[in-house]
Order: sequence, then structure tokens, then C-alpha cells
Amino acid sequence: MGRFLLSRLVTAFVSMFGVACLVFLLIHLVPGDPVDVMLGESARPADRQALRASLGLDQPIDTQLLNYFSGLAQFDLGQSLHSKRAVGELLAERIPATLELAFAALFVALIIAVPLGILAAVERGKAWDWGAMGFSMLGVSIPNFWLGPMLILCFSLWLGLTPVSGRDGLTSLILPAVTLGSGFAAILACMVRSSLLEVLGEDFVRTARAKGVAEFQVIWRHAMRNAWLPVATLLGLQLGALLGGAVVTEVVFDWPGIGSLMIESIQKRDYPVVQGCVLFISLMYVLVNTLTDLLYGLIDPRIRLDNSK
Amino acid sequence: MPRGALLALLLLSCLLITGCQDQERETIRMGLANGPLNLDPRFATDATSERVNRLLYQRLVEFDPDSRPRPGIASWQVITPTHYRFTLNQHAGNFSHDRELTSRDVVATYRQVLNPALASPKQASLELIASMEEVDTRHLDFHLKRADPLFPAYLTLDILPAELIEQDHDFAREPVGSGAFDLLDWPQAGELHLRRRSDGQIFQLLTVNNPTVRVLKLLRSEIDLLQNDISPELIGYLRRQPTVSVEQHPGSNYTYIGFNLQDPLTGKRQIRQAIAHAIDRQAIIHWVMQGAARQAGSLFPPEHWASDQLAPYEYNPDKARALLGELGYSDRNPLRLTYKTSSDPFRIRLATVIQSQLKAVGIEIDLRSYDWGTFFGDIKQGNFQLYSLSWVGIRTPDIYRDIFASDSLPPSGANRGRYASKTVDQLLNRAEQTSSLSAQAELYHQVAAELHRDLPYIPLWYEDQLSVQGSRIKGYKLMSDGNYDGLAQVKLKSVPDGSHVQSTTAN
Repeated sequence: MGRFLLSRLVTAFVSMFGVACLVFLLIHLVPGDPVDVMLGESARPADRQALRASLGLDQPIDTQLLNYFSGLAQFDLGQSLHSKRAVGELLAERIPATLELAFAALFVALIIAVPLGILAAVERGKAWDWGAMGFSMLGVSIPNFWLGPMLILCFSLWLGLTPVSGRDGLTSLILPAVTLGSGFAAILACMVRSSLLEVLGEDFVRTARAKGVAEFQVIWRHAMRNAWLPVATLLGLQLGALLGGAVVTEVVFDWPGIGSLMIESIQKRDYPVVQGCVLFISLMYVLVNTLTDLLYGLIDPRIRLDNSK
Repeated sequence: MPRGALLALLLLSCLLITGCQDQERETIRMGLANGPLNLDPRFATDATSERVNRLLYQRLVEFDPDSRPRPGIASWQVITPTHYRFTLNQHAGNFSHDRELTSRDVVATYRQVLNPALASPKQASLELIASMEEVDTRHLDFHLKRADPLFPAYLTLDILPAELIEQDHDFAREPVGSGAFDLLDWPQAGELHLRRRSDGQIFQLLTVNNPTVRVLKLLRSEIDLLQNDISPELIGYLRRQPTVSVEQHPGSNYTYIGFNLQDPLTGKRQIRQAIAHAIDRQAIIHWVMQGAARQAGSLFPPEHWASDQLAPYEYNPDKARALLGELGYSDRNPLRLTYKTSSDPFRIRLATVIQSQLKAVGIEIDLRSYDWGTFFGDIKQGNFQLYSLSWVGIRTPDIYRDIFASDSLPPSGANRGRYASKTVDQLLNRAEQTSSLSAQAELYHQVAAELHRDLPYIPLWYEDQLSVQGSRIKGYKLMSDGNYDGLAQVKLKSVPDGSHVQSTTAN
């Protein structure tokens, strides 16, 4: 376990370093000057020059890169070019909203996908199966930028049950979570179904049935426990994506998370904030995938993470 | 049913019931397309921050409806053309930390911005100032490097308290001003709570990026007020809603088509004239913009003191075809041009309509839209044939020098079309050396007439300001430059006139 964690830590460090370099160079290569975006067309050239100098953008790119990494070494992600606030502070302000939405969407996805996937697998080839898979297809096909406004129209405007947008209490979480979770639920339901179908054909399932174990117990206790492994892999990947910020959903619902911060910063060419957001997203992916690997051992004790055992 | 699913159902039901609860609030909520980024007026550059700062701070000089500078918290006296004395009003106001604003604060604020070490983006507009001094608590003097009758119009900095400047106070997050409003709270990104000092009324400024969602929130009374950044279709829809009222006010933001005059095609005046005659601006304003604009003949709207009242080029497709025909272009041999615009959906739609109108006279447009950074970068580098943009918030006619003088090429100026005219250069130089505003206005009229003839820009329109008010509020007044000063008068209908609002929280 110790060696596994150490190797993951090294991999994570190398990945993060690579991401930081790549993002820094790419964002500086993209056409567009943050000073232009900040000052607009009416600004005087001298004001532009003064601002560029004050932001350190008049320095050569290698000097800027060096400054960036020396800051990173001291856990300093820099300062927003626009708001002059520390990037770490901006991220910290947005992380609770992102976590809230990610876990709520995951919750929505699980409560839809697991029963639906099980139902489709158990009733394979029957109407339930077709219905569940049809729903999944629909869930995958409907884009969030359409589903979100439709849900707002229905549940906020017509029924008056939830707020239209914003982050203002638990009710405001429902529609973004459903919008974000439904697409994920569709993919997850397919995965649960195929994984469960594979396990249902195994000998131990037949044995359990032959011993007279109740069908619910056969499915939930025997088959599902073995079907969780591929599902957990998918969960890990998707949770990483959710924690990285759900850009479209956040924009539609004005959810103040990392995704919307990143989009705003890209549009404004706020380099340090974009770099901070991408680093955070990479960190989330690395963290969640490491946790998923650790979870494998718990789900299936036959998997050992330490080579020596 | 599994216990997990039951629990989830229960939780969802609770949430829905909570959502049904009536949310009576005493605050007034305004929906913004973009939130303020920086409430430190020395550094704020985005439009929303500037508008919110106008509410939090006061300025020496304000502007009349005709854009002439008028006293804000101070009046001025021209002692010599390079020496101005400003006298603070008897009640210039108190800062939110309850100290009276004095000339010491004014001097400290201007000195700060002029300090090169601060690198304020507002420094260049004040480079005319040679020195300033505090005469007493109500009087201060400005000494200029050279005479400029427009000088008072440059004094629009928001005044900060001197002692907090010395203490390096974080104005960006904790503004301390003497304006009509205090910042109460900034609880999360995109949400700002302000308190009106006169009656304690609390305002919440909520950022809602998506215009459709903004409108839906207004219709559901989650917000009470919207201003601009709403597509004409949504405005048309809102006009038909009985629960909201739409207000429109003539605006001064000037939209134009700019040409690259070094390009072999758009460098020809006949081609620019043909394009000017081929665009039916009135039809675009009527059908696409739902009447929310006025046709423009030049940079400044008719109400501006330096306006020249030039008539826009008439829509005359036959004349456009004839001009193109003289250059050998026809339907069989169309003129092909590239038109660049931003990625804003409404700007793209306008460009598409213009593309269609130009096609009708035999000009084929290759329309390209880019995100703002890329688009503006191309424009500055002269990497375009024609493009459309707007000038926002221009007050003083010295902008002509920045846009059209032959020595104002980027990066030292905004002459992106590389326009060069000796006549215009001479007129601009004469205008700068003139000491009276009326004489300056006459020279700027001549500049405008030259530009109208040469057409480095085709003036399109001045876009109107629009606001939409929900049923809970009354009295919001729109301003021609789109600022939020109207919040100083807006009231809840449920609160009788003259009463003090008892709200103590922002929720």
C-alpha cells in the first residue's frame, strides 16, 4: 500500500508539473491580450503600457514562467489580473459550490442509474429493458444547455417549485444537480446493466439461486457486489469531471463554481486564474483516480495494491 | 423499495416543499450580465465595476446630458489657462466610516493615481496635471503642463479617504466611499449587497450570465430590475408581459463599421461609399433591434455639445451598384471582402443581416467571428478588411485624435484603419491649441465633415439604453451612458414615499 501511494504521488507530481507547463505556454500562445480585454477600445496607449507593466506582462515569457513556478513552489498561484485578488482565494471561494454540485449530481445519477441498470439487466430483452435503455439513450443525447432551461421553464416558471438560478439554499441545488446528474445517470445505467449481465451468467449466481436465496438477495448481495468494479471505475472518472467543474450547467444556472470561473477567466485572458483552475481540475482527477484505485481493494479483496503481497 | 431510494424521495420532497415557501423580501434585486471585478476605483476597468463604483464614491466632476462637464462635489474657477481652483461643496459628503470628505482626500487620491509606482490604468488621462496642492479643507489647486479647456472633463476619479490610502487599505474588497451607497456584503462571487445611505434600502446585485435565465428570474420575481444585455426578441417578449415594464432611453454608445485603408480594396473610397449606401440601417434598427437605436451620422449623438448633426449616408442600393460598377464589379464579378466581428450572438446576427444587404448589391462577405481577445488583437494589428465595433462611454471630442490622427497608429493610438489625412491632422492640432470649447467644437465639426467624406468609419447607430422593471418596484431612471445612478431613486412599491426602510439583512 505504501509503495502504491508513493508511486501515485510521484505520478501525480509529474502530471501536475506537465499540466502547469502546458497550460502556461498554451494560454500565452492563444491570440488576445489581457490588457485589451481589461481596458477595452477606449483606453489610451499609455494606460495600456502602464497596466501591462504593472501586471508583469511586459517581461519575456521565460521570465514569466520562472516567476510562476517560483510562486507555485511556495504554494502561491499568483494574483488575478482583473480583480487583483489571490488566485487561491478565488478558487477557495468557488470550491464549496463545485463540491456541492458535484456530489448532488452524483447522488442524482446514482439513485437513477443503479435501479434502472439493475432493472434493465434483470428484465433483459423485455419492455423494462427497452424502456430503461431508451431513457439512457435520451439522457446521453439531451445536451445540458437545452435540458437546463427546459427544467427551469417547467419547475421554476410554471410550477414555481424551485428558484430559476443562483446558489441560494438547497432548493437552488435541485435543478442543476438533475441537469448534470441525468447525463451521467444515463451512462452509469448502461454500465450497471452490462456489468450486471456479465455477472448474472456466472456460476456462483446460479448456485445461489439453486440454494433458494431470494432473488433480491441474489441480485443485490451476490451479483451487484461483483458488478461494482467497472462501475466504480466509471464513477471515479466521472466524479473527477464533476469536481473539475461542470461548465455548461454552471453557466446556465449561474452556479458560482470552478467551471464558470474558468470560462470567465479564459474570456478575459486572466492567465493566472485559468492556470489555477486547470491545476485544480488536474488535482481533482488525480485525487479521485487514486481514491478509486484504493477503493478497488475494498470492493474486491482479491485485488492487492501492494506487489509484495 | 430499497431504503436509499426512499430516503432520497423524502429528501427531494422536503426540498420541494421548502421551494414552495413564499419568499417575501424587502431587498431590491438587480440582475447583471457581468459582476463587478474590482471596487478599487484606481484599478477598476470593467464597465460593471465602474458603474458600481459610481454608487459607492463621489467625483469632482459630473456630466450634463449634453456631456459638458459640470460640478460634482466641487465647482471650479479658471484662474489662468493652466491653473484651476476647485472648491468643494458645503456638504461634499461623509465617507462611510463617518468622516467628512475634504480637499486632502482629493489631493491624496489624484497623487496616488499619478504615482508611477502604482501603475494605475487611469494615470495617462491625468498626465496633463503638473502639480496639485491643498489650499484649505475645501479648496485645492491644479496646475497644468499646458492649457486644455477640456481639463475638468478628465477629473472623474472616485475620491478615496486619504488616511486609508496611506494605510494601503484593500478598497477592491472593502470599499470606503462617500457615495449614495455603502457596500454591505460580498457573500459570494456574483452577489453584491449594497445599502442606500439615504433610507437604508438594501440592494442585491446578482450576476446572471445567461440573458434568458435573467429574464426568467425577472418574470418569477427573483429579481426586480434588468438593464441592457438583453436580446431584442426577449425585449419584445417582455413588452407583452403584463407584470413587467420596459423603459427605453436614447443612448450614446456608437456602433460603426471600420475599414482598413491600407487594404487594396477597402482603401478605395468608392468601395466604402458603396458599402455605406448598401446598408439599410433603418430596416436593421426597426426589424432586428426592435427600434432600440438611433441612426448615426458621426461619432457623437445629436445631444452632445460637440455634435455636428451630419446626416447618415442614405440607403440607396442603386447608387451602391453604380459605384461598384464604375470599378468593374457586378453580380457576375462580385466584390469579395472579409468582415470580422466578435463572437457575441447578437453582433453575429447584425453582421449576418449586413452581409445579406451587401450581397444584394453584389458584395460577397466572408463573415468571421472570433472571441473578443482574438478579434481585438486582429483589429489592432490591422489584420482585417472591415469590422464592426462600438465606442462606449466617450465624453470628450479629443478622442478624434486617438482614432484618426495619422500618428495614432497602434500601439500608440487607436487609428486601427491606418487613416491618414493632412487636413484632419491640421484641424486636430488647431483644436488642441484652442482655448475655448465653442471654438474647439467648430474645429471638431470640420473634422467630422472630413471623416464623413473620407469614410474611414461608416457610422451605424447609437444604441438605446433599456431597462426592465418588475412589479415590485417603481421609479428607476435610465441614464444615457448606462450607469446605475437610477438606483438612488428606485423604491419598493410596498414602501410609502419618504419612509425609512427597516431592512437590516440582505436576505
